[in-house]
Amino acid sequence: MIRVRSLEFRYPGTDFLLRIPDFQVGTREMVAVIGPSGSGKTTLLNLVAGILVPEQGSVHCADSEVSTLSDAARRDFRISRIGFVFQDFELLDYLNVLDNVLHPYRITGALKLTPRIRERARDLLQQMGLGDKIQRGVERLSQGEKQRVAICRALLPSPQIVLADEATGNLDPRNKGHILDLLFEAVQAHGSTLLAVTHDHELLPRFDRTVDFNDFLVKDGL
Amino acid sequence: MIDSLYIAWKYVSFYKARTATLVACVTLIAALPLALELVLEESERQLLSRAESTPLLLGARGSALDLVMNSLYFGDEVPELISMRAADDMDASGLATPIPLYVRFQARGFPIVGTTLDYFDFRDLHIAQGRQMALLGECVIGAEVAERLELKPGDTLLSSPETLFDLAGVYPLKMKVAGVLARSYTPDDLAVLLDLKTAWVVQGLVHGHEDVTRTQDDSVIIKRSDNNVIANAKLVEYTEITTENVDSFHFHGAPDDYPLTAVLALPNDERSGTILRGRYLDTAIPYQLVVPGDVIVGLLANIFRIKNVLDAVILMVGVATALALILVFALSLRLRQHEIRTVFRIGGSRLTIFRLLGAEITIIFLVSGLLCGFAMIVVDQYSAELVRRLVIG
Amino acid sequence: MHARVVFQVILWVLLFTSTLATGQGQVKVYTVNYPLQYFSQRIAGQHADAVFPAPTEGDPAFWQPSVEVISGYQQADLILLNGANYAKWVNRVSLPRRKLVDTSAGFRDRYIRVTVDATHSHGPGGEHSHAGTAFTTWLDFEQAAAQARATADAMTRKWPEWKSDFSRNLEALEADLLELDKQIQMIVAVKPDHPLMASHPVYQYLQRRYGLNLKSMMWEPDEMPDEAQWAALARALGDHPARWMIWEGEPNPQIVKRLQRMGVESVVFDPAGNRLDKGDFLSVMGQNVKHLKRAYQ
Repeated sequence: MIRVRSLEFRYPGTDFLLRIPDFQVGTREMVAVIGPSGSGKTTLLNLVAGILVPEQGSVHCADSEVSTLSDAARRDFRISRIGFVFQDFELLDYLNVLDNVLHPYRITGALKLTPRIRERARDLLQQMGLGDKIQRGVERLSQGEKQRVAICRALLPSPQIVLADEATGNLDPRNKGHILDLLFEAVQAHGSTLLAVTHDHELLPRFDRTVDFNDFLVKDGL
Repeated sequence: MIDSLYIAWKYVSFYKARTATLVACVTLIAALPLALELVLEESERQLLSRAESTPLLLGARGSALDLVMNSLYFGDEVPELISMRAADDMDASGLATPIPLYVRFQARGFPIVGTTLDYFDFRDLHIAQGRQMALLGECVIGAEVAERLELKPGDTLLSSPETLFDLAGVYPLKMKVAGVLARSYTPDDLAVLLDLKTAWVVQGLVHGHEDVTRTQDDSVIIKRSDNNVIANAKLVEYTEITTENVDSFHFHGAPDDYPLTAVLALPNDERSGTILRGRYLDTAIPYQLVVPGDVIVGLLANIFRIKNVLDAVILMVGVATALALILVFALSLRLRQHEIRTVFRIGGSRLTIFRLLGAEITIIFLVSGLLCGFAMIVVDQYSAELVRRLVIG
Repeated sequence: MHARVVFQVILWVLLFTSTLATGQGQVKVYTVNYPLQYFSQRIAGQHADAVFPAPTEGDPAFWQPSVEVISGYQQADLILLNGANYAKWVNRVSLPRRKLVDTSAGFRDRYIRVTVDATHSHGPGGEHSHAGTAFTTWLDFEQAAAQARATADAMTRKWPEWKSDFSRNLEALEADLLELDKQIQMIVAVKPDHPLMASHPVYQYLQRRYGLNLKSMMWEPDEMPDEAQWAALARALGDHPARWMIWEGEPNPQIVKRLQRMGVESVVFDPAGNRLDKGDFLSVMGQNVKHLKRAYQ
């Protein structure tokens, strides 16, 4: 599903260099990525999602050669194939729960907001235990609830790949497990592939596989 | 676009205070010059059309503007008085038809216009209800007077004393409303029109032998006992002209000497007008004959000069506001960096951001436009009144 | 195309003539007494309708018209006033000043001031006084002619298109009035000092113009004077030995008889201030002249 080869990436003007010779994630596989801060975990997710483009090497993802696509094509790819779950949820305060979940459908032409999608959004929220808070403003939700909304937003277009960037980082220990359970369940139910960055070593056993970024990190001068 | 508008609407309705401030700024800056324009247009309409339809105006020497304002728009400033002889002399000249005017008194806040029936023909005023005034003591009221005071033919209307303590002891005249004029959208709508002779009765110059009629109205009596009657403040003494006492009303002195504020002069033709104007050029004559159109054009020129200054001020304020608005949007973009990043991350493009901002601006301007339109409707509704209060006085 | 033009022309002609026709019928001249109505109708001919709306009983000099009648005056095209303080009601109503014409304004300085003051009552006009200005200006036929001229002038100013008709009609009227004037002058010239008695003080201008040796009582034709009035007459006849008394209207036969016993004959000189039962202004004045002639024989 995901195949990264001979990848090199550098943020312009910095000495940061990410080099990944070969990295693969199979279909429906659930992979955790660990590593120290600044080791390029989030950068990898952004490369996979097509937000960033590698200097060298290729990123092949869900039948697309992401690194060679145009800006617009990468956006369409991201919208239709990737679901992103962020550490700080990235919800919009001025929209209610349902509108946040439907937000991607309203800002791009690549997704069509149909009655069926609305229905699916409600179902998803129901499954996530937010059925009674659909019309609530997100600023009135707890942290755990916010992340559940974000997960619903990521899963609504039925993405082939779900990228989770410290999805439980801002949650208390009790919520962590619960949210992860929900995420796993939903990903499995959709038949998606999960690539999750985490610091939480306790959670690692629940993934199929763990990739340690210490193996990839190269810092010039070190 | 609908989706962008939806999200933008959610945004502006979520941040109510910010939106309200922006809308208020845009509305004010748009409405101010428009309202000013409306009021000026109205004043031009009210002032100019009436002035231009009044060929010549004779009055005492002094402020031509006061004379025109009083005679044409029934402004409060009463010019120096002239006498009925001025009208008779003009009549005798055979050059113009004089329409005497005596605009000095008020009735419940509306100007009393003493004139002759010719005035109605001249101004093309028609009776909508009731009939034309016929007897001494009768009046015909403008449509607006009838509406505001809720008067109809057959009702009565008291003249107001000229000063609170009228030492001359002239009692208000209880006038009978004979008719109500059809609306003309001119100052006549706000006038209480009566015969000159009745106006002189209001002043007490023409009077009857029984000047005072004491009220028999029981509603003014609070308590009545054997040796005491307590009356409330409603008790007023007034003169009333009835069929019984009308014969006793008589002129004291020569009617030639009776006062007027002005004489409208309708020259027989252009040549007569020119000759007539020539006659009153002599400074030894205590009268001035003015062309109301010229006086009003002069006034409007002054008003427009002020308007130009105001326009410049408004323009500067407008530019300042526009800059402030741009700053507000620029700052809000910074504040919304996080939100913009989210939009990018979930697949939005730069265009998406612009579309959202555009939709927000559209909504703000749309709401401002609506408010502005509403404000204009209100201003338009009251512009006639505003002009009366601000310009005519 | 051609037919349409013709049709339009016909339409316009029809419209034009119909407005002319209706316009003509609507021209109205209102007056405050009968003489002026007579004058104005004769001068106007078929061009205008002269209206004098007072009731036939009572003296129009002391009349108070109703609101409806005033409204008629207000809508008139021309309102002819007699002047000389005649019809005081004019001062107590609203009339369009522009349409008012004072027919005696030309001889305003020759009004006769009356000092006798005693209010009395006759007819439905109620109590009234003759103090002030004498108002039967038309009984001086030269003045009547002047009033007719003022009427014609006013009408000509108003309707200049009919000027020639007005002047022609005025000429004829003036001739009639001046003929009366001449006749009375001739009658009086025979006996300039011939004493006469008048029942009522309404002949001031007649007296002045023709030099009548006239004294006035304050009698009414249909009211038997009381003894005090008879005594006053007897006293007056002492130094004014009149053989004839001139009456405004046909006097009560009993009064006539009692006067005859005193050697005084009665004769009518109708001022014709109000509309007449029979005849017109000219015929009544002709009658008056005949009656006057009898008083001078």
